[in-house]
Amino acid sequence: MRPAGVRAEITSRPRRGGALLASVLVLCVLALSAQAPARGHRGSVLQSWILTAAAPAVRAVAGISRAVSGTSSSVAETWTARSENVRLRHELEKREEELFRLRAEVQQFRGERSLRAAAPFLPTVVGSAPVLLLERRAGLQSALIGIGSAAGVGGGAPLAVPQGLVGRVVIAGRTLSRAQLLLDASAAAGARIARTGEVGIVRGDGRGALRLNHIPTTSRVQQGDLVESAGIDGIYPRGIPIGRVASISRGGNLFLDIRVVPTAPFSRLTDVLVLAPFPAREPAEGTSALR
Amino acid sequence: MRPGPIALVLAGATALEFFFGGSKFRGAWPVDWLLVGTAIVARWGGFGRAVLTGAAAGFLEDALTENLLGLNAFAKAAIGYLLAFVSVRVIFGGALAVGGVIALCSLANDAIVAVLRYLLLDSPIVIGTPYALWRAVATGTTAGALEAAWSFPWREWRERRRLRRLR
Repeated sequence: MRPAGVRAEITSRPRRGGALLASVLVLCVLALSAQAPARGHRGSVLQSWILTAAAPAVRAVAGISRAVSGTSSSVAETWTARSENVRLRHELEKREEELFRLRAEVQQFRGERSLRAAAPFLPTVVGSAPVLLLERRAGLQSALIGIGSAAGVGGGAPLAVPQGLVGRVVIAGRTLSRAQLLLDASAAAGARIARTGEVGIVRGDGRGALRLNHIPTTSRVQQGDLVESAGIDGIYPRGIPIGRVASISRGGNLFLDIRVVPTAPFSRLTDVLVLAPFPAREPAEGTSALR
Repeated sequence: MRPGPIALVLAGATALEFFFGGSKFRGAWPVDWLLVGTAIVARWGGFGRAVLTGAAAGFLEDALTENLLGLNAFAKAAIGYLLAFVSVRVIFGGALAVGGVIALCSLANDAIVAVLRYLLLDSPIVIGTPYALWRAVATGTTAGALEAAWSFPWREWRERRRLRRLR
């Protein structure tokens, strides 16, 4: 399949390729080492610049993607309309195209309106933002959202949807920000069992669920209990739903091991509400709210 | 492969990454397009270009989604070299073989990033999740389909079809 000349040329240069690989890996290690001591801070200036520079292209591609997503939802309805009459179909072709586009737009607006309708129940909403990219790799759960410092959003701003808490902004570019989701293996938040009032720490397990720690074995927690933010971590405001207790087992050291299923639909996130940073106290140093 | 097409492959992979990543159906077929781009260059571009393309693709991924710049760059540069090595030294072909290798590379990418995150950020090692396995399947299948489409004798097929119509 590969031309013989190209193959011979490639075969003669593995040593050079090896040297290049070694240099690239060393460069990566140097770059990682340079950043590692700063991991307690909210990212580097370089990353913030990169996010700002990448914003226009990312927003354009994501805009097309969202339009296609919205359009695909109305395909079924359009096909029903088309089957009515062949003659009418030709006559109404132009109008249908218009209808097609408008339906997609209406669906988009409806989603945004329902999101904003929940805003009065959440503490100080700064605005809503589209989710442009969701990355899940090796315990990391992060998202790129289409809002930034130009809209007054800074690092540490909590994110939520009407169903519950989503995460927080880690690095804010001008019109694009990177967020750490609550499901991230390094994420944690102060949490409270709504029925019993007991306070613990909820942590992401990096696999799509949450663990509620530091609840004593004497607790009256039951399966299905609502877990909400406790407002003790200086990042997330109090009273936002986090998830529901899925299973309870006895852990070590007199504490229960509680598995919590998040209430927010993380796999189907399209828009999020950005809340004002919780002013109780300065966030703790570290990669998560409580670490 | 020349730098122009390599840049085109990278730009296309990035555009696809955002196109599908911004959609609410992102979880249905989560292809690692940047890995596929690296594999394409490794298949046709030789060692050096595969390493550099992998590093560039990984760096881009890090800049947009990771806490540290260089985690995915490290992993994808190593995978680029490995794929170029496999492409040159090991005689294999066919969509199944290519798809299988790329699926394994997707899992290897996750494992390398997980170990680096553990060493540098003290994060727990999370590998082999259902999502990671599904992404490996999706990435491998997509790469296999691309390989099949590339090696399919389109010209002969078109000619046969034309002759059938003439009869």
